[in-house]
Amino acid sequence: MSARIAVLVFPGTNSEDETLRVLRDCGGDAHLVHWSRGALLANFDAYVLPGGFAYEDRIRAGAIAAHDTMMDHVIAGAQQGKLVLGICNGAQILLEAGLVPGTAPIRRPTAAFTRNGPVPHFVCSHVYVKLAIDPGRCALTRLLEHGELIPAWTANAEGRLAATAEHLRELEDGDHIAFVYAHEDGSVDETASPNQSALGVAGLCNREGNVLALMPHPERDAWTFNHPDRRRGGTMLAPSGGVALFRSFVEVLNR
Amino acid sequence: MRRAVAINLKIPDNAAYTALVTLRRLGIDVARLERSEIVRFADAPDPAALIAAVERDESLFNPNKHQVSVLDADAPRPGEVWIVQDDADRPVGWRLYAAPDLPADNRLLAQAAERLLCNPAIERAIFPRSLG
Repeated sequence: MSARIAVLVFPGTNSEDETLRVLRDCGGDAHLVHWSRGALLANFDAYVLPGGFAYEDRIRAGAIAAHDTMMDHVIAGAQQGKLVLGICNGAQILLEAGLVPGTAPIRRPTAAFTRNGPVPHFVCSHVYVKLAIDPGRCALTRLLEHGELIPAWTANAEGRLAATAEHLRELEDGDHIAFVYAHEDGSVDETASPNQSALGVAGLCNREGNVLALMPHPERDAWTFNHPDRRRGGTMLAPSGGVALFRSFVEVLNR
Repeated sequence: MRRAVAINLKIPDNAAYTALVTLRRLGIDVARLERSEIVRFADAPDPAALIAAVERDESLFNPNKHQVSVLDADAPRPGEVWIVQDDADRPVGWRLYAAPDLPADNRLLAQAAERLLCNPAIERAIFPRSLG
């Protein structure tokens, strides 16, 4: 029997459908769980927090959702070793919940994905993220290649990683930087980031490697019709590069 | 003269209500909570002229939903914590009440800031002076 994946829906989540579809396309037994039915979460083996908004992101992006009862289950599950993936707003929630990088007590955040730089505007653009850790460092990336490049779309106004200098050092020293922004050819420099994210970070994992927070949306480049060069030919519903992360996640989960 | 004004909603403030509910869920006993945008002026006219100027500025003030008051000092009021991300920003003022008309003490304010209102990775909390 395959492992069951819960795709959490908070009030304002808007990427649950494509997230559910890509997980199912990769063979995952994925189900939506709405905030009013959070008690069901205890019965799942893994959790995915999709993008969008949560509670209108009142106070700060992800701040209220991090204290929602749904997150009690996610935190308990993560502490038992269950796999957790947060994308965009889901990533913001994981940082506010303190699950990522997980170097401080729960719900005591040490970093945030916050206002974009150099101007705090909404940015929607196609990007590439590059695996910056050994694939085995994080359970969700275990089946990716070293330095694998994954296409995705960034769509946020608050995707820039920010933390104190001390905590940024902690992220580097603890090997928490799972993905960095890269150019299409795989090169990495400061111009690859669409938002001046600290250290070029696109995604972070926790100390134990079972929780991953990724700011851009690979599920929005999961089928050819999502990709910028979609007119190049081929079947529009053929898998695109963004599926790689979900394949790794689902296959590791089902082993 | 340096002055600060607090602009808050006169219609129901859903963000303040959500914060109130969440603080209570965290065991922080708050009877009432008000949220304001704090706008600081380095060289402000007298209070009446300042209010008139703010009320004329459509980027700050919508008469259908906002009310504005001039603060006694350019600092948080009793029971209020200001949360600021960049020093160039306008702080958000969260004014907490332990009872309907009793501003929260600084211990409760610090607790609310630490547990919910302030992410120290990106924000700074400014408390009433008595907190030191």
